[in-house]
Amino acid sequence: MIVATRALHAEWTKARTVRSSGWLLVGITTLTLGLGALVAASVRFAGCAPPGGDCDVDATRIALSGVYVGQVAAVLFGVLVVSSEYATGTIRTTLTAVPRRWVTLVAKAVVVAGPVLLTAVLAVAGSLLVARAVLPANGFTPAHGYPALSIGDSATLRASVGTVLYLCLIALLSLGVALIVRNAGAAIATALSLLFVFPIVGTLVTEPRWREWLTEWAPMSAGLAVQATRGLDAMPVGPWQGLAVLTAYAGGALAVGGILLQVRDA
Amino acid sequence: MHSEGRLSGVTTPSRGMPSVSAMDATIDVAGLRKRYGSTVAVDDLTFTVHPGMVTGFVGPNGAGKSTTMRIVLGLDAADAGTARIGGRPYRSLTAPLTEVGALLDAEAIHPGRRAKDHLLWMAQSNGLPARRVGEVLDQVGLTSAARRRAGGFSLGMRQRLGIAAAMLGDPPVLIFDEPVNGLDPEGIRWIRGYLRGLAAEGRAILVSSHLMSELEETADHLVVIGRGRMVADTSVADLVAGASGTRVLLRTSQRTDAMTLLARAGATVAVIDHEAVTVDGLSGERIAALLGAAQVPFSELGAHRATLEEAYMELTRDAVEFGATGSTP
Amino acid sequence: MTYSSAVPSNGAGFAQVLHAEWTKLRSVRSTWICVGLTFGLTILLAYLAGSGNTTDANSFGPQRFFQAQLVHQSLTGDGSIVTHVASQEETGPDAKAGVMITGPVADPTSKTGLPASPPAYAAIMVTPGHGVQWQSDISHDAAGTTDPAPRWLKLTRAGSRITGYESPDGVTWTQVGTAEVTELPATARVGMFVSAPPTGVKAIRRSPTSIENSPDYTLSTAVFDSVRITGANGQPVSGSWQHVDTSGPPRELPHDSVAGSFTENAGRFTVSGAGDLGVQAPGSVGDNDVVRDTLSGILIGFIAMAVLAALYITSEFRRGIIRTTFTATPRRGRVLAAKSIVLAAVAFVTGVAAAVPAFLISQPLLRENGFAPPAYPKVSLTDGPVVRAVLGTGLVLALLAVLALALGALLRSSAAAITLVIAVVLVPLIIGPFLTLGGEAWLKRITPGAGMAIQQTRERWDDAIGPWAGIAVLSGWVAVVLIAAVVQLRRRDA
Repeated sequence: MIVATRALHAEWTKARTVRSSGWLLVGITTLTLGLGALVAASVRFAGCAPPGGDCDVDATRIALSGVYVGQVAAVLFGVLVVSSEYATGTIRTTLTAVPRRWVTLVAKAVVVAGPVLLTAVLAVAGSLLVARAVLPANGFTPAHGYPALSIGDSATLRASVGTVLYLCLIALLSLGVALIVRNAGAAIATALSLLFVFPIVGTLVTEPRWREWLTEWAPMSAGLAVQATRGLDAMPVGPWQGLAVLTAYAGGALAVGGILLQVRDA
Repeated sequence: MHSEGRLSGVTTPSRGMPSVSAMDATIDVAGLRKRYGSTVAVDDLTFTVHPGMVTGFVGPNGAGKSTTMRIVLGLDAADAGTARIGGRPYRSLTAPLTEVGALLDAEAIHPGRRAKDHLLWMAQSNGLPARRVGEVLDQVGLTSAARRRAGGFSLGMRQRLGIAAAMLGDPPVLIFDEPVNGLDPEGIRWIRGYLRGLAAEGRAILVSSHLMSELEETADHLVVIGRGRMVADTSVADLVAGASGTRVLLRTSQRTDAMTLLARAGATVAVIDHEAVTVDGLSGERIAALLGAAQVPFSELGAHRATLEEAYMELTRDAVEFGATGSTP
Repeated sequence: MTYSSAVPSNGAGFAQVLHAEWTKLRSVRSTWICVGLTFGLTILLAYLAGSGNTTDANSFGPQRFFQAQLVHQSLTGDGSIVTHVASQEETGPDAKAGVMITGPVADPTSKTGLPASPPAYAAIMVTPGHGVQWQSDISHDAAGTTDPAPRWLKLTRAGSRITGYESPDGVTWTQVGTAEVTELPATARVGMFVSAPPTGVKAIRRSPTSIENSPDYTLSTAVFDSVRITGANGQPVSGSWQHVDTSGPPRELPHDSVAGSFTENAGRFTVSGAGDLGVQAPGSVGDNDVVRDTLSGILIGFIAMAVLAALYITSEFRRGIIRTTFTATPRRGRVLAAKSIVLAAVAFVTGVAAAVPAFLISQPLLRENGFAPPAYPKVSLTDGPVVRAVLGTGLVLALLAVLALALGALLRSSAAAITLVIAVVLVPLIIGPFLTLGGEAWLKRITPGAGMAIQQTRERWDDAIGPWAGIAVLSGWVAVVLIAAVVQLRRRDA
């Protein structure tokens, strides 16, 4: 237990004294807020409903859409916590100071998830506030079937909590990938590929079965299913199921990374 | 003047005179100044490295040796002053590897690249024939490791690979930053002979090092810098002689008695080990007379030849306290 | 009186630096891993795009359209109609104004919509881009003179044989076309008509996941005068003119209302209408660009190439090799130029080498899935647009690789360079659907990803930018970052 606490303390010191960490955490918040504000400002209620139908814009999802860019900062944060150690050779010092390597793994995971959790809460709260102010001006008013965004609404609460968890899971997934790949550039490329490649493949194929499969099992689309507050029946994967898929990815990466950490030479 | 140079090196170190011809292999540094942020790395540095001898470049850590070398090689830009090779700035040399060979950092090798490829690209960049790769590997004794990836090399092998790289163009000027680091005693002896051989051919060699004992055997001339400033620019013999001064080495089994006796006589006594001291202020005959009169036995009494390390420590201690002293002609 | 080098040198010119940089690149294992990944990923994606794409375009058969603004009277039995098309608004090369004889058409006040199938008809018309044309529902088109309006047109009926004539002055008539329209009833409708096919596509984004698009019709107006209908006996026929939009009641979408109109003023008829008339040729602006879709795998392959490109320069910074490089070649701009050329060559060859099998593997798969003639004519590797797309794939990969290299030289960090180049190419594709259509198009035009437009082999309504214009945008980005990198390399300490 003491070992774990000391390891945690050491990991926290290492993480917070690297200059890029602070910037990346700030980046998670600002990028999410920025893109969310941009998107909220550009959707219009007018013209959104097809003839004889309802407008199917999901206001909460729009508000939280900044996460598509904010997650890049989360990926970088998770990767650099590990890769910078391998690049500088500090990993040897770490593994000598704390010989039980799984303790280091857990400590790193905590040191990654904790700060990301905090910045994600700020990002989500800020995005909701901005969208709450901007969307009614674009026609998304209660009269049109769009009540003001509020945490009190259970669907919005789920979407918000889910988005915060999503960002944490992305950072943890990146941590796992970095433990496997070790080189910073390659780890970032792998993590970003995992996230962005599947939606792009989805635009290249038209078979509905394949598209459904991609939405169900791709980390980003499955994970972000939790943001949906409308049209839930039509989605191939439910909100919490989707997040569970992403959790499996992150857990799998951490597990494989942990095994490699244990087994490989430093 | 393209003689296939095998010259016994006899050149007069005429400090301060500009080089006469472009073929003259000298390194001239004049009034060099360089700051990194608020730290002054090099401050008004002036010296010349002449061909035909090994010039040692010494100073405490952070004194500015590596910075000076980088400026000479055109890698870092000086804030003031000039650095010339054969009278020309480095960046104006047309095939630089045939004029200057440098080893700055033995770690500057891609671990995934084979040793021979590491040398091959350098040779190609200056239009040197590919056979040079095999030739220099042979010179440093790495022929058997040519096809191995550099990531698996020991530090000593990496040093030798760096030396081989410096020799690719058979240059008349060579600059080595800490080439002895990581070599075993056999390797140190080899490089000593190698460098002296290169100097004997008429090349100008600039070597920086921390190992004073090593430089003592290898270098002919010394440039000592401290805190970015010139502290001494002199031959090794002169420096050692200057530091030795009039000190006398005394070896005796009754050290304490001898020390008390000599100190009372007005000499300055310094301990070397449990049996030996150096005595300053009294001549050898006087000491012998004093000890004989007090019947203190001694086994050795002679002029003390300071080690380069002692000389250096004394020199840089002064430098730290009083700033740059004048250099001896 | 000093040592001289005994080693001959060919000089340290640009050719030598190029050679050295090529040796550096090829002698490192990670280079070939990345090349292999690029190659493999691109082909894998082409396979997925080939087998995962189905269409039923060919199950429809050729589409017949009968949409026009018709101003008509009844004519029983044989007869003729003559008119002078005084002017025609040029809203496109295929706008039509002329005279037509046709079977029953929908009542304008009825709300039951289109008749089940277009009626039998024959028409002679003038168009701004192709002059006089003859059309009948038996789909035999013919062309007359290439002069546009004003023109005299005549249509005659003899039993079931309809013949169309044109004339410059109303006196000398030239036959343009004739047909046996057997399904024409005894009492047919005869009159003036105006039609104009869509010149593009109107699209509306309703939400990030749904876009509606419909043809973009522009109303075209023509003026007719000296209209004369003559009966079988040579006597003029007169009656009241009725006017109908043959495509049915105007649709409800506000942006889609193409209600035509008709006014008469002392024998001059002004008619406006819009719509398609005739058989639609296979291939429309809504069709998939199958070649581009299958080559798009390079978007994924480029990630591996970006890693290679960034590491090519940043590994030198990290290990201090950059100092060795700059002592061997003090002219730093040359080093970066040589690296760029070597990298671009490797990327280009990899891209083309991947695009060719990608094309060859995916095309048969696509044909099996319905992308076959006549809706999708067969494409071969030697077709002009395909050659451009395949070579363009190599070109865009080379440019993106050099962009990553330049970013690495500028920022000296592989993490930063790789993140930036991947994000700047892929993120616009992900967030595009969240913006307006105009915003998304703008994003596609100004970001480096615009270079992907070189893979387009047919015009689509949602192309944001043309092929070469896209390459120019990407080249602009590359140039800017390269220049900044060279400036920084020269200025900073190694």
